[in-house]
Amino acid sequence: MSQAAPRSQAMFFKARAGEKVRNPVLQGALKKARPLFVGKRVKGMASLAEDGLDFAAMSAAAEEIRNRVLADLDVWLDIFEERARAGGAEVLWARDGDEIARLVVDIARQHGVRTVTKSKSMLSEEANLNAALAAAGIRPVETDLGEYIVQLAGEPPSHIIAPAVHKTIGEVEALFAREHGRPLEARTSADIPAMAREARAVLRQHFLAADMGISGANFLIAESGSAALVTNEGNGRMVTTLPRIHVVITGIEKLVPTLEDFATLMRLLPRSATGQSISNYVSLLTGTRREGDLDGPEKTLFILVDNGRANILGSPWQDMLRCIRCGACMNHCPVYFSLGGHAYGWIYPGPMGSVLTPLYTGLENALDLPHASTGCKQCASVCPVRIPLPSLMHGLREEQVKRRLRPWSERLALRAWAWLAGKPALYRWAMRRAARYLSWLADGRGAIQEFGLAPAWTAGRDLPVTANKTFHELYAARKRA
Amino acid sequence: MRLALYVTCLVDLMRPSVGFATLRLLEAAGCEVVMPEGQTCCGQPAWSAGDRPAAASLARKAVAELEGFDHVVIPSGSCTDQIRQVFPELLADDAAWAARARSLAERTHELSSFLVDVLHFSAPPAEFAGRVTYHDSCKGLRALGIKQQPRDLLLKVRGLSLTEMADCEECCGFGGAFSVQFGAVSTQIVDRKCASITATGADAVVGGDLGCLINIEGRMRRLGDRRTRVLHIAEVLADGSAP
Repeated sequence: MSQAAPRSQAMFFKARAGEKVRNPVLQGALKKARPLFVGKRVKGMASLAEDGLDFAAMSAAAEEIRNRVLADLDVWLDIFEERARAGGAEVLWARDGDEIARLVVDIARQHGVRTVTKSKSMLSEEANLNAALAAAGIRPVETDLGEYIVQLAGEPPSHIIAPAVHKTIGEVEALFAREHGRPLEARTSADIPAMAREARAVLRQHFLAADMGISGANFLIAESGSAALVTNEGNGRMVTTLPRIHVVITGIEKLVPTLEDFATLMRLLPRSATGQSISNYVSLLTGTRREGDLDGPEKTLFILVDNGRANILGSPWQDMLRCIRCGACMNHCPVYFSLGGHAYGWIYPGPMGSVLTPLYTGLENALDLPHASTGCKQCASVCPVRIPLPSLMHGLREEQVKRRLRPWSERLALRAWAWLAGKPALYRWAMRRAARYLSWLADGRGAIQEFGLAPAWTAGRDLPVTANKTFHELYAARKRA
Repeated sequence: MRLALYVTCLVDLMRPSVGFATLRLLEAAGCEVVMPEGQTCCGQPAWSAGDRPAAASLARKAVAELEGFDHVVIPSGSCTDQIRQVFPELLADDAAWAARARSLAERTHELSSFLVDVLHFSAPPAEFAGRVTYHDSCKGLRALGIKQQPRDLLLKVRGLSLTEMADCEECCGFGGAFSVQFGAVSTQIVDRKCASITATGADAVVGGDLGCLINIEGRMRRLGDRRTRVLHIAEVLADGSAP
């Protein structure tokens, strides 16, 4: 990773996690959001059943589509490139985040662009694009409401589909009052529509004035050379049709072969993400404005990004490339909803981030992330493309051990324990001693309040101790009796 | 039927009463139970930490000492998952052990699932005057599909009534080493679980995994709740008295 790309803070996960847990404002926001996310997916799954569709069968079909693409990704990319060009679009390739930023700034300069409107794009986060544009004297305006909020706050998104989920109404009000030059008002959730209208009025002027629109793409469709955009606010349409230039930035893995395949995936994406049977807007963007079209860009450019993806192809982590960025894994993750996304330190949070961050930025730069899981398997049970997230995180742990990246104290303790567990007689003796020791520490109170060997445990919990003898010891005594 | 009881390292050290309750329960169900001598730990902590060689070596040890029985019963979804799902994967490339691991996996059962699915047992010799709520532990629920079995058994206990807590399928935040490595995060998660339990007003929270239970009990006591009992399902079904 070089300068322009965002520096990962994933090495500081533990410290950041501690801060997030102690932040009552953040905790309040997360506490409100979690049941909403979970409830929405429940609704989405109910609507799937109403349509006579079964989640297991649908996700198996979705998995198959994604696997089919990944098996011959180069071929599908060639087909996409050819069809997109036939439709009048240009196709560019970016190796990493820096290259995305350079290409976009070059395009903007070439066409005399001064302002850019952006529809939500996590790829542009991989490029730290807003900073690069600003440095080139071009003003980027995020137009997704959540992205608009985090841009005003000068923060990265904390969730892949709900970028400002960590913000309270009060915090948003403070940002709006400052940015929109008006006095601060007392706000409740009843004021959300009014606040959205306020942002809308501001954004409207940007939509009309922008020279260039930048969007991501939820999928690229090989057979038609189209970008598919799934949005709820309508800002995506403004960004992709009003300005004279439209740049689509997306990862090379986002391809699907046919429109039929796209339709299958669309049965699952909104339902898994927001519980909607279909999002408010689904746009298929193909080529540039044709003769007689009332709107549409004069120039459309695709920037197809590798940034670590090609290395994952054919590796033990290839399943991760099936990801369709619905956010269900983080929405159901007990760790994510204790911390919010910023704790994860790079662009992608939650279980999918705990796999992607080490893969994209280096295993040694994100040592905690594969361990930041209780092993509850919720993520795997809700993933619409059946990514075995717990197994992938586990595989990364094994890789850390293989490459000797774990702390020596941890390795030593584990090895000593495993050696002991391999020697039953010695193990029994050690456990008998341990039982006595724990009981002595509990001192008749039934629990240990401060345990020097595991202070992290007793920082928040008692350690209940009920016996001073082990099961095997008591069992042997009983058999003798 | 020759049946082995694998008590788990956590029960051995932290709460022997769960082992004895399991034993009584299996005997009440008409089983002849053997306690394999050399049992220590299934090796899950090593596996979770990513130490494959150490985990594989403990897996071989467990396979060797348990494979001679018709069935192995474990009062834990987590350790059962280790033997049922992880052992076959861990030893898949080991020609001498792969088939043995697969065979053992098929014959290894979590306690409530063994009682209901294998024995069709429905007469726990117990009485419990009170209301309980059941915490679905993650491995039992999502790896082994155990959901209805413990509830069916609990409802057969005289005097017991069952109240479901909100989000009973949510993790309690234990996660083995996770609770020590990320203590503050774990505490945050178990707080949500404790709140769900407290909201039911139940006299006891019951679960099938001692790890979860120690975590929940430890946090409840720290928060000042000395009333709610935290019990392993074996303790409730076997009338729960100490050995």
